[in-house]
Amino acid sequence: MSNLDNVDPPLISKVKGSLHPINQVKDYLINMLAQMGFHEVDGPEIESEEFNFDMLNIKKSHPARQMHDTFYVKNKGYVLRTHTSPVQIRSMLKSKPPLAITSAGKVYRKDDDATHLPMFHQVEGIYVDEDVTFANLKDLIHQILHNLFGNDVEIRFRPSYFPFTEPSAEVDILSENGKWLEILGCGIVNPIVLENCKIDSNKYSGLAFGLGVERIAMLKYGVNDIRDFYKSNLDFLNQFK
Amino acid sequence: MKVAYKHLINFIPSKPSIEDISNKLFQLGHEHEVYEEIFDMDLTPNRGDCLSINGLLRDLAVFFETIPFGEIYDGDIKPYEIDFINKAPKACPHISFLKIDIDEDIKPYEGLLQGYFNDLNLNKNNFFTDISNYISYETGQPTHCYDANKINKVISLEIIKGDYEFEPLVGEKIELIGENLAFLEGNNVINLAGIMGGLDTSCSSDTKSVIVECAYFDPEIILGKSIKYNINSDAAYKFERGVDPLCHEKVLRRFIKIVENHANIKNIEVFNKDYLKFSSNPISFDEKKLNKILGTLINKNEIQNHLRKLGFSITDDKIFPPSHRADIKTNNDIAEEIARVQGYNNIQPSPLEIYSLDNDHEDSKLLEKNIQNHLIENGFFEVINNPFVKNETPNSIKVYNPLDLNRKYLRTDLENSLIDNLLYNEKRQHDSVKLFEISNVYFSSSEIKKKKILGIICSGRVGKNFVDFSKKIDKDYLINLLKSLSSGIEINPKLVPREDLDSKSKNEIVYLEIELDDLRGYGIEDKCGASKKLSNDSFIKYKPISNFPSSTRDLSFSIKDNKGYYDLQKYILNFKHHLIKEIFIFDFFINKKNNNEIKLGVRIIFQSKTATITDKQVNNIMQIIKEHTISINGVSIPGLNRC
Repeated sequence: MSNLDNVDPPLISKVKGSLHPINQVKDYLINMLAQMGFHEVDGPEIESEEFNFDMLNIKKSHPARQMHDTFYVKNKGYVLRTHTSPVQIRSMLKSKPPLAITSAGKVYRKDDDATHLPMFHQVEGIYVDEDVTFANLKDLIHQILHNLFGNDVEIRFRPSYFPFTEPSAEVDILSENGKWLEILGCGIVNPIVLENCKIDSNKYSGLAFGLGVERIAMLKYGVNDIRDFYKSNLDFLNQFK
Repeated sequence: MKVAYKHLINFIPSKPSIEDISNKLFQLGHEHEVYEEIFDMDLTPNRGDCLSINGLLRDLAVFFETIPFGEIYDGDIKPYEIDFINKAPKACPHISFLKIDIDEDIKPYEGLLQGYFNDLNLNKNNFFTDISNYISYETGQPTHCYDANKINKVISLEIIKGDYEFEPLVGEKIELIGENLAFLEGNNVINLAGIMGGLDTSCSSDTKSVIVECAYFDPEIILGKSIKYNINSDAAYKFERGVDPLCHEKVLRRFIKIVENHANIKNIEVFNKDYLKFSSNPISFDEKKLNKILGTLINKNEIQNHLRKLGFSITDDKIFPPSHRADIKTNNDIAEEIARVQGYNNIQPSPLEIYSLDNDHEDSKLLEKNIQNHLIENGFFEVINNPFVKNETPNSIKVYNPLDLNRKYLRTDLENSLIDNLLYNEKRQHDSVKLFEISNVYFSSSEIKKKKILGIICSGRVGKNFVDFSKKIDKDYLINLLKSLSSGIEINPKLVPREDLDSKSKNEIVYLEIELDDLRGYGIEDKCGASKKLSNDSFIKYKPISNFPSSTRDLSFSIKDNKGYYDLQKYILNFKHHLIKEIFIFDFFINKKNNNEIKLGVRIIFQSKTATITDKQVNNIMQIIKEHTISINGVSIPGLNRC
C-alpha cells in the first residue's frame, strides 16, 4: 500500500567551482602581508630592460640577462619580466619612504622541464624606512614562515647572492623528512638600487623578500608535480574548492 | 665544481671532519652536496674567487688555520724574450708567459697531482696540460699550454672582427662570428682567449718545451662565448666570474714546482707585463654603519679580526679588499662578509613596526573579485594558461628567443587557450565544463598596450541535479548568468563552431570575452561578495587524480513510501567506495496518476586510480547498492526482481 504524502524534492546542492589554487595561495600571501602593513601594487608583465635589470643593479654581464634565461620581446629592449621587482622600482620612484609594498603576479624565465615552467608566480615585498636592518628582515621572515608553516617550523638563513640586495640570504625550512627545503630569497636592499630610485641611501635602508607561489602551493597542498597546476584538469581543480 | 675533502684537508693542519667543513661552507654561503667525500659546490656567481682549493681555503681561514698556498719554486727565473704584442690591453690588462724545457723522462704522477686524477676520477691528457688543469683546480687560475716548438711567429692578442676559422683542442672546427678576443700567430687563431686553445699549437705527450700562458681577462669580454660556440670550458666559467689579477707569479712558480717534482727542468724563463695598473678601491671603515646594516653590536676589533682572516687589509679608517675579491665595493658588501663569519643564524631577529605613508588604498580589485565569486558560485572553475602561442595575430608581440616554434608569439585573446582547456576536459569524460580566465594580454603598436580581459567558456549540461541535468548550456544561459550579477549588463557571447575542432560532442560551446574595464559602471564592484579567503588551516591535502577512464551507471528507482524515499537518498548519497568518483540524483518525478509514485534517477560514476576500471568491478559495487536499496521499504528497481 502506498503511504506517500507530500515529500520534499531532493536537495539541489549547488555545485560550486573554484578559484585557481595558485591564485588562492597568492591571495593568501597578499592578505597575510597586508595584515603586516604591506599594500599591493600592480605592474606590467612586459618590462623594459632598464626596469627589469638595470635599475636593479643587474649588470649587462649577469647571466640572467642572456638569451637562454630571459624571454626578449618586441625590439629586444623589452623582456617578459623575470621577477616582480620592477613593480617595486616603479613604486619607489613614485612614492617617498617609508613605504611597504608587495607585488605579485606572473613572471617568466626560459625554462621548461619537470620542475621549472616558463611562466610562474611570485609574491615579493619591500619595506624602505630609516634604520631597517638585517635583524629586522630576519624577524619579518620568521613571522611569514611561522604563519605559513606553524610556530615550530625550523628556519635556516644562508648567505646568497642577488644583485639587488646586499647582504642577501636564502631561507630554508626543515621538512618532515628531515631535509632542508629552500623557501624564499631575501636581503637588505642594495643602496645602489635605492640611489637608482632617487632615495637617499645614507638616510634610508630597506628589506626585500620574494616567495615563489608555486613552491608554497606545492608544499601546502602536497602537490608533487608543478605541471599539474596548469593542465586545467577539472578533476584536479575540483579539489581546491 | 667538485672538490675532494682529502685535497682540502691537505691544507688544513687540524684535519677537521667532513661534517665540520660542510657546516662551515654552508655558513659562509657555499651551497654544496657531499657524496663519497667529494664536495659538489654550487657557488653563487659573485664568488668566482672560490672556484678552487685555494679559494675555499681563503674563506675557511676564518674558522681554521690553513696553509694558504701549495709549495712554490723559489729559485731565480730568467726573463723570457717572447715575441708578443698585446693589442687589447683593456680586455687583458695582465698577462704572463712561462717557458719551461724539460728532459725526456717524466716520473709517474705523485702527491697532489696524482690525487687530483685518482680521487676525482679524471682522464689524463699529457704532462703539461695535466698540470695546467690541476693548477686551475688548486689555485683557480686557468693557464694554457702551447707546445713551444709549434710556435714560430709573433703571437698577438687582439679583438678580431669578422669570420675566422678555429679548431679548438676539443670538438669540431668552428667559424668565429662577430667580435672575439683571440691569440693569433700570424693570421691564424691559435687560442680563443679565455675559452679554449687551438689544436694546432697544443701540447702532446712528446712536448718537452712548453709556453704556459697565464692571463687576466675582463669577464665581460669572455661572457657568453662558450655558449655561443657550444664549448664546454672550465676556464671560461672562471674567467666569466673573475680571477685574481695579481696571482700570476705565485701560480706560475707553483706550476714550476709541480713540473720539478716530476721531471728534470733544463731551462725556465718568464715574461710578465701589466698593461694597466691594478688598484684596490678602499672602503671607509665605519663599524657603526656596519652594525646599523646588520642590526648587531659587533665591536671594532672583532670586525677587524674577521676581515683580516678573509685577507682584507685594514687601516684605522679604510678597508682594502684583497685582489681576488672584485665583488667587494661597498659597506653593504663588508656587512655581508661580517654576517657570513658571524653566521646568519646567529644574528638575533629584531621586530620592526611597518609604517607606510602610502597606506590608504581602496581595493582596486573588487570588480575582478566579485566577478570571480559570482562565476565560482555558479560552478565555474578558474584556469591559468601561459601566453605563448604558435600563430601570429594582428598586433601580436613576437618572442625573439622562443622556447620552440609553437610558442613564438604572445596571445592577444584567451579564446584558443580556453577552447583547448574545454576539449581537454571533454576528452576526460566531463559532460559539463564551465571555465573562466582573467588575464592581461599585450599588443604591439607604437608602444606596448595592455588589456585585462575576462574569458568564459562553457558547454554541456547546466548542472548535476534533477532540475538542470537535462538542460544544455546555450547563449541565454550565459547571458542570464551575468545578468543575475547585474541586470544592466549587455553581453553578446558567441558560439564556437565545432567543425574545426577535434571533438565528437554535439553540445554548443558558448564563449564570451570582454575587457574587464567594460564591466565597470554596472555596480558590480559595489557588491559585498562573500569571497572565500584561505586560512592557514583550510589548505586541503591534495589527492592525486586518476588518469584512467571512468565508467557510468544509472539506476532508476520506483518509491512508494515516504520513509523509504528519504532512507534511499540517505543511503545512496552517502555511499562511499574508493572506486566511486561521484553520485548524484539526475531525475525526480512524482507520478500523480499512479498513487504519487516517485521516480528517482541516480547516476554513479566509477573510476580507479590505478587501472582502467572493469565491468566486473563496477557490477560488484552495483550489486551491493542494488541489494541494499531494494531492501528499503517501498523501494524497487523496475526490471529487477527482488531476490
